[in-house]
Amino acid sequence: MKQKYTLGEVESHVRKASQATGLGWGLSEEAGKAARWLAAFDLPGPEISLAHLQQLDGKNYKKYFPANIDTRWQAQGDYLCPIVSGAALADRAGQMLAGTEFKLGEIAYPLLLVATIGQAARYHKTTFTTSWANIRVNCYENGIRIEGSQDDLLLARVNSASCRHSTDLVPQQLPSTLAYSIEPSIWSAIDALAFETYAPATAESRAGAGAGLTDND
Amino acid sequence: MKLARMGSFHQTRLSFMRTLLRRLKKEKWQFERKLWEIGADGFGRAVYTVSGPERSYSLVAFSHDLPDHKRSDRVIATAWDATFTLFDGVPDTADLDRLQINVPKQEAGRISDSELSLSRANHSVRLWQHVIERLSNGQQPDRNQVESVGYLVRTTAVYGSGKFGAADRLTIYQRAEVSGPFQAELLSVWLIRAFSIDLVEHIARAIGGDRAVTISPDLRRRIGVGNATGLGMAPFLINHPALINNWMVAREEAIARVRSLADASGEAVNDFNHHFELAKFNLSQWHSEHPIQIKKLGQLNADLKKMSTYIETESLVENHPWDRFYLWAEKNLSLEGQEQLVSLMLEPYGELVDDLSQCMDADEHLSFFIDGAMGVGRLLEIIEAQCDWAIRVDYQQKQNRARFWYTSAEKLEPRVGERFDEPGAEFEQPLSIGLFIKQLYQTLHEWDPRQSIADLLLAHPEHRHTVRRLQTLATHPYSEIRDNLIAADMLPIDLLRCKLSFFGATKFDPRSDRWVRICMYQDAPYPNEMLATAR
Repeated sequence: MKQKYTLGEVESHVRKASQATGLGWGLSEEAGKAARWLAAFDLPGPEISLAHLQQLDGKNYKKYFPANIDTRWQAQGDYLCPIVSGAALADRAGQMLAGTEFKLGEIAYPLLLVATIGQAARYHKTTFTTSWANIRVNCYENGIRIEGSQDDLLLARVNSASCRHSTDLVPQQLPSTLAYSIEPSIWSAIDALAFETYAPATAESRAGAGAGLTDND
Repeated sequence: MKLARMGSFHQTRLSFMRTLLRRLKKEKWQFERKLWEIGADGFGRAVYTVSGPERSYSLVAFSHDLPDHKRSDRVIATAWDATFTLFDGVPDTADLDRLQINVPKQEAGRISDSELSLSRANHSVRLWQHVIERLSNGQQPDRNQVESVGYLVRTTAVYGSGKFGAADRLTIYQRAEVSGPFQAELLSVWLIRAFSIDLVEHIARAIGGDRAVTISPDLRRRIGVGNATGLGMAPFLINHPALINNWMVAREEAIARVRSLADASGEAVNDFNHHFELAKFNLSQWHSEHPIQIKKLGQLNADLKKMSTYIETESLVENHPWDRFYLWAEKNLSLEGQEQLVSLMLEPYGELVDDLSQCMDADEHLSFFIDGAMGVGRLLEIIEAQCDWAIRVDYQQKQNRARFWYTSAEKLEPRVGERFDEPGAEFEQPLSIGLFIKQLYQTLHEWDPRQSIADLLLAHPEHRHTVRRLQTLATHPYSEIRDNLIAADMLPIDLLRCKLSFFGATKFDPRSDRWVRICMYQDAPYPNEMLATAR
């Protein structure tokens, strides 16, 4: 039976899990926000975040960074990381607002790309459109619109994607939940990754958890 | 915004407990003890409900039989004398039964989005039994003993939004009564205080029968709620830069408004003097065994004497009296005394400053976004203008990076380690803000100032979280603590005191350099005194 977790728990767990797999603090913050953003629409942000992190765990992240962004974004390694690419696109939101359409090569879980760019949409109170395969997803200040083949929404890998500003301002779907339901086995796997950021208890750490004086008076 | 000053803050009119009680009173909230299923032994469950113009909130309390040897305030405890949750609305029996399974387990249980907080408390061994014995024998408790402890129960954690399944903060962010900082949590504590009194009186009656008495109203007021706080709340101040900025801005703006007054009315001066006397009384009741705090209390005592002399000899009425007083304090008083004065100066001016309590929340999402179009040169300017405290430190010196912050796997609580003496530094949390800023500063010098932050972050993603903070700092001048948070001489209790003063706590009593006891709601009215009974 699925178990509910608050959006705050989703965000902090995915953030920690991302840090545990080597993404670094700043990008892990983006990963947590992206998972939360999707979960709020009852979309499987935590699930695909986990799947993506498991693929990358222990590998050199830099391989999945965009190496060439002048024309078509390409990773040094097999494919682009959607969190890294999404953050880089969000950082270039101004260029998209000025009319630039960014073209990306092979990329994992493009829905995570959408979610990371979603942060920029909210900040700029505007709409960004991400397209891949036979699907197009608009993210708005506080909403989403999915057009095309739903089968393509959760694709684990696509050959190309693109992202641009849109003038459409009418979301099809607003955030619908503050507590996301998830399979316990998936949550346990996220939790296990997050747990890797915690320090095992030592005599010193236990001593630091309380006063040197009595605490039962 | 230095740690030493933050560690000398006192509660003010803008403290969150006081904001909460002002609202409940102004909006004529109603109060009812909805349920009391407590046996003669003092164990069972109870529900306290407050109802406002639009909504009700209920404290659900469970009282447990806790063996003495299990009673500990430490976060690693697993059982408590009482456990609580704040229910969103009025719980039915099915809710209570569900909560009874989970709330006593605290972190090991699971609450739902119908709950807004999770907390627990232990009896004060010094006072609990004494009060019951006296009341059951028809006598009032010893006033000195009541006042020297100050509470019957001591909370050891009050968890808020989104923790352990409790409702996400977005659930309440549009509800005026609980959207302000920590309003739901502090409502819980206020109701816990009422429960603690009801419980001792109930047990005393069960023991003493007709002979038993209730606590006299004036002595009741002297009883607050204790709290023992460790490092758990320290990183909050660092992890919520925009929010902390807003707390500080509200406080600074309040001080500025009062200092800018050309003169003060006789009524305002009388009000100030009244609170000055209360501050002196509070100090006489404020005890600590910790050398740091003993020294500070000595300084505060001397400061209050100097202030007395100032009040007797200088006009508080004319010629910008509060500004003059403040400038005098800066030259003549310790940080404890300066901050005490600031708190007292605000007291007569509710109409002038209380509205600022509405500005103490933050939409943190807006400070999450990174402006990638910003130039490298602009970021350098921000660092050079506002981060001298970070870049002048030589982090190669061991004492300047002697500590590391980490989260313990045992209770998922933040702790501080000694980098060169303890294992675990590989689990360091990103709280060494000064060091991060200096590392970024060094990287920026290798870049053309005209290049964009977007390009910088693609090449150096390790600086992403620091860039985010610095862009926030550019528009939020109080978002960073201007001290080295991993220095050998850093005192975590300074962080705790700052945050707790914003809550409205008094009688800070450090038990080590990273653990502090406080009193909450001492002298505040009780729900049944301040609010009408619900019908």
